[in-house]
Amino acid sequence: MPDNNGRPNHIEDALITLNRGQWFGWTNPKDKIYVNLKLSEKVGVSGNIVDNPITELPTEIELTTKLKELQDAWDDNS
Amino acid sequence: MTLTTINLAALGDTINLSTEVTGTLPTGNGGTGSTATTFVNAASNVTGTLPVPNGGTGLASGTTDQFLKFTGSTTVASAAVEGGLSGYDRWQMNSTFSGDAEPITANWARTGHGEFAKIGTGMTQSSGVFTFPNTGIWEVKFTCQFYGDTNAFGRAQIKWSTNSGGSFTSSGWGDNSSWGQPNGNNGQYQTITSSILNVTNAGTFRVNINAEQSNNSNGYVYGTGADCTFAEFTQLGT
Repeated sequence: MPDNNGRPNHIEDALITLNRGQWFGWTNPKDKIYVNLKLSEKVGVSGNIVDNPITELPTEIELTTKLKELQDAWDDNS
Repeated sequence: MTLTTINLAALGDTINLSTEVTGTLPTGNGGTGSTATTFVNAASNVTGTLPVPNGGTGLASGTTDQFLKFTGSTTVASAAVEGGLSGYDRWQMNSTFSGDAEPITANWARTGHGEFAKIGTGMTQSSGVFTFPNTGIWEVKFTCQFYGDTNAFGRAQIKWSTNSGGSFTSSGWGDNSSWGQPNGNNGQYQTITSSILNVTNAGTFRVNINAEQSNNSNGYVYGTGADCTFAEFTQLGT
């Protein structure tokens, strides 16, 4: 969740930019670190519950790189 | 000749009632029909129930946690106390996502702030499909908090099913937008929608929660310690 100013500060902020909908979740929502990241089994699409079309998690490096991109973009615009 | 009366005055004699009279005076003559006065011992000589028209309750015993209740004008029975909440449950979304989720299928968790869990049995949830613990009149309320850019639009919607989730019907929705918000790139806006549902069969009645956004890149505000986007289930009556 972005900080109070809106600056991305967590890999979750990067995750929601990769795919739409509820494709990911956490094995421990109170400890949102990469090793606790998981794929959702089901997603809701247009009133239907279907298997998650996303079958592979991004790597930790991909996420941290994406988060850095978002932070740089935010810094450039602020 | 049968002696039936004694004329004491004519005889100039007296009868000592304390020592010289025995037997019983019949009730027809104003007596008790008994050789001794009889009292009713309420502890040992009374059985059954005293009827309501006679000032009784019509009850021989009661039930724990119940009170007397009039049905109509005279019949008395015991019944459970009505009033207060018999069922309440709250589920929060503990992770975010972007775009639409129709329905929200994942990342639900029962709220547990301040040691509170639920009132009553509580809801059960599987892949975002909620099942009620019992029949009755229930209010379902969904509070949805969106992240938005300058012109974002969001919708929160509750849908219900009577065929175990085979098909769902919308019971209404709440819309809001971030239009006009000064902090457009990090705007947060909220909408609340609620539905009153008559759960006539808890075995087949279902509810799901839906969220939509105009901008697929925008996320939702969630909480693991605080409730930001959450659903409430309150039983209002039977």
